[in-house]
Amino acid sequence: MTLADEVWALLEGALAVYRDSPRATAWLHGHRARFAEPVRVAVAGAPRAGKSTVVNALVGEEFAPTGAFTWYRDGGRPRATVGPHEVPVTRRDGRAFVDAGDADRVDVEWPSRSLRDLTLIDTPPGAPVERVHGEADAVLYLTRHVHSSDLGRLRAAHDHPVARAAPITTVLVLARADEIGGGRIDALTSAKQIARRYRREARVGPLCQNVIAVAGLLAVAARTLRADEFAALSALASLARTELEDHLLSADRFVGEDFPVRLDPAVRRALVDRFGIFGVRLTTTLIRQGFDTQVRLTGQLVQRSGLGELRESIGACFTERQEVLKARSALLGLDVVLRNEPRPGAAALAAGVDRVLASAHDFRELRLLAAIQSGRTALPGGLDDEATRLVGGLGTSVLARLGLDHRPTDAEMRHVVLDTVGRWRDRAADPAHDQAQRRAAAVVVRSCEAVLTALG
Amino acid sequence: MPPRRWGRPSFPSRSEYSRLFRVMSAPWLDVLDDTIRSCAAHNRPDLAARLRETRVRQLDPKLRVLVLGEPRQGKSQLVNALVNAPVCAVGDDVTTTVPTFVQHAETPSATLVRTPANTPTERIPVPLDQLADQVRAGRTGELLRAEVGIPRDLLTSGLVLVDTPGVGDLRPAHTAGTFAALLQADAVLMVSDATAELTASEVELLKQVMASCPNVTVVLTKIDIAARWRRVAERNRAHLARAGVAAKLIPVSAALRLRAARTGDQALNAESGFPELLACVQQDIVAAADVLARRTVAVTAASAIRQLVAPVREELADQGPQTTIAKLNEAQRRIDELRRRSARWQTVLSDEMADLVSDLEYDLRDRTRRILREVDRTFETADPARGWDAFEQWLEDNLTEAAATNFAWLLDRSEWVAAKVARSFPVHRDDLLPESVFPADVLDRVSKMDKPVIERFSASQKLFTGLRGSYGGVLMFGLVTSLAGMPLINAVSLGAGALFGGKSVLDESEQRLKRRQAAARVAAQRHVDDFFLKFSKDARDAARAVQRSLRSHFSTLADDLQETLLESARSARRAVQDDAAERERRAREAKHELDRLGRLYQRVQALAGGAPPLGITA
Repeated sequence: MTLADEVWALLEGALAVYRDSPRATAWLHGHRARFAEPVRVAVAGAPRAGKSTVVNALVGEEFAPTGAFTWYRDGGRPRATVGPHEVPVTRRDGRAFVDAGDADRVDVEWPSRSLRDLTLIDTPPGAPVERVHGEADAVLYLTRHVHSSDLGRLRAAHDHPVARAAPITTVLVLARADEIGGGRIDALTSAKQIARRYRREARVGPLCQNVIAVAGLLAVAARTLRADEFAALSALASLARTELEDHLLSADRFVGEDFPVRLDPAVRRALVDRFGIFGVRLTTTLIRQGFDTQVRLTGQLVQRSGLGELRESIGACFTERQEVLKARSALLGLDVVLRNEPRPGAAALAAGVDRVLASAHDFRELRLLAAIQSGRTALPGGLDDEATRLVGGLGTSVLARLGLDHRPTDAEMRHVVLDTVGRWRDRAADPAHDQAQRRAAAVVVRSCEAVLTALG
Repeated sequence: MPPRRWGRPSFPSRSEYSRLFRVMSAPWLDVLDDTIRSCAAHNRPDLAARLRETRVRQLDPKLRVLVLGEPRQGKSQLVNALVNAPVCAVGDDVTTTVPTFVQHAETPSATLVRTPANTPTERIPVPLDQLADQVRAGRTGELLRAEVGIPRDLLTSGLVLVDTPGVGDLRPAHTAGTFAALLQADAVLMVSDATAELTASEVELLKQVMASCPNVTVVLTKIDIAARWRRVAERNRAHLARAGVAAKLIPVSAALRLRAARTGDQALNAESGFPELLACVQQDIVAAADVLARRTVAVTAASAIRQLVAPVREELADQGPQTTIAKLNEAQRRIDELRRRSARWQTVLSDEMADLVSDLEYDLRDRTRRILREVDRTFETADPARGWDAFEQWLEDNLTEAAATNFAWLLDRSEWVAAKVARSFPVHRDDLLPESVFPADVLDRVSKMDKPVIERFSASQKLFTGLRGSYGGVLMFGLVTSLAGMPLINAVSLGAGALFGGKSVLDESEQRLKRRQAAARVAAQRHVDDFFLKFSKDARDAARAVQRSLRSHFSTLADDLQETLLESARSARRAVQDDAAERERRAREAKHELDRLGRLYQRVQALAGGAPPLGITA
């Protein structure tokens, strides 16, 4: 029986036990429906951290902020609803605008490939942590730089027994990477180094699965670059570097009078609003370096802005782990009912929840990952990295687990897996390791065996 | 990073500063010098000496301007741009780890100030261009601050720019340094960048800063990269107004200023917003400090003049031998009275300080005991082998907090004691309360602590324990089964051996855990004890330093008073002896002198601004 089957059975069982309680039934129906949906990822963080910008970059469309919880799902045509009512989607200053009034939640359907296996939730500033984590299966936490108050909010996500049993559903995003180093042209390189440092930082590492630097503004601009903007940027890039340099010193100078090329101040103002002064500096340099068609420039910007890395990380940490994230959310929901309305028949269900949490291998993998990341479990001699990879810390596909960058023949693959299983079995029985280390090795062995089964 | 240039930059124009200083420093210095000369003429070297001290202190004012804000807002770059030289390390990640004091010096120099455990502070000169590396290499706990000297006109007035580590950084040790520096600050430049509005935590920080140093200016940095900085500035002003913080907000761009310095581009310099910031530093900080200096000079000089006036007026007022003799008696009586009562304020001072020390110690004991109790509770269940780092951090934080609260209390109470002693002082004067009850280095004396270490339960120990247990099992069951005719080593005894081995490992683990918990508790206890011992010593030393400074302050005052009374008595005695014609001449002289002193007094009062009550004209 897979994890999904077990959780499904528990939900069905709960529906049977609580069939006379309308509140519990409605709640459980909601969770059963949610179980079949794509994984929900909330974008949360401090005010002005760049939440809407990152959502826009992921969807590939500029939306005007609504100030409410905004859900973005895949759909056949652009469509927005507030509660049961459809509201019009209009265009304002080149952005998609949804008039949500003072609604608490807006649902937007948008045709976008990125939304096919993912539902994005843009959260308003100051959204309560419990609500964000209650509605979403996983969280992208955005910040400009990691402040001690951010740590408090990240920690709050782990404050529930079920959440602790299946930890880490968060990716930390340094969302305004283009502002680092005063918008120097190599700002993104040092932003990536800073992200790497935070990954190793003992107080940040255990709270999230990955830390990624993203230049949000640049990513949005890259995904929605228009022909007229490209033409304007090309015109700028046609100037010599030294000639343009003085006018790129500050945003004020860029939109000022006395400009060497014929570009309307309004156009320049629009450019600097969309790209930021850093974006203008970078794009003109890139065009000069030979990324001189719109397609090539877009590709380069998506990669440089960190958006590519962010998408990969969402894939590895969230969509590939969809099953376990969904199961986790369902069990959290079930736990709420069992706590709020205890009754005789529910004892067996509670035991069932505990059993699934304790025995399901997916949860064990997550716990081992958390233990290794936080340093609670330390394997000797650099085995930490291998263990992290094998239990799916870098992606749950067979190739990612084995750390292979090309697909070998089945026989070779089998050989690699068997070799790995053998080594880790030895470790699981090695008396020189302590109990936690042997247990960790056993989890790794179990993961390898699952890979072996998948190979057939 | 721009090329390092240590010479005096050709811009902004140097006359800009020097003109301001010539104008500002003159008036109070002249008045003070005149007053000192008068004191010498009136045969009062004690008063003259005191005024000379004031003169020295006021001529060498250390005006500390703290540059503070959250991490990565451009604080270090702001300091660099203010002095047009890369004196503070700037980087893309968190860079500043200790406060850096930038002050005037004839030649560029740099010094690290550190306190290795249990030794007095030591100062290590380092080459300026290696300062950043040395700071990074040093252990944060030991390094107190870095000091940079650089020849700049801006700094010649005694201005010291203090670059601080960001507040709200993940490492609280850095933040603690900032708050220690805040206690000594005369003014604060609060830095926030223009890419976002002031956050709630920044407003909170601002309020906190205002509580200990009300002279705050908000600097909006990085306006070169923020296209919409004008709107951000507008909103920030609204935020400040809403929070009830009366602080100026000045938008600047350090990048533009540094580039302007390299290219000598005046227009760009104007665009960077720095001329406005410098003007603000001059007006609101340097000039405000000058007002403070004038006021101090005015109070000290006025009190000296009043003491000079008293005997002269006595002399003038005496009408004949009878009244003069009455005067003489009166002066004698007041001298006796003063002697009697000076014993009283000394008792008050020593009693209050003794009370203060014992209260302080009790308070600290109480705080540490509460921490220890929490430790005990934690280690009843928790295993110290896990999460020891987090625990150490927790302990350190709590102890630091206890120390900080305790110390702040010491400061408050000392001021109160000073006020109380002043009340029991026999006469009332404007300069009765000392300017500051604390010696300047009182904060440097608080020492740092070492961290405890504990043992771990290793695998080999486990193996050994297991063997010991299993050996017992084999022997015991081997003997029993050997009665049944089996050899000593047989299947049953081996099985029992394995069983016993396992059990003893388990037991031992449990015992080890208990022992570990006990060890952790003892380690924590010892650490807290050490802390208590060291810190209470520090606090007692600080209290004693305060007591000493108060005592010397008040005894100087008492001596002054006595000298004045004696002088009156002497002049009264002279008057009794003199004949009429001589008396006439002396009265004329005294009147003349009194007029002169009255004019001097007026000048002194004009320094402080506002017309004062005079009442000392002839």
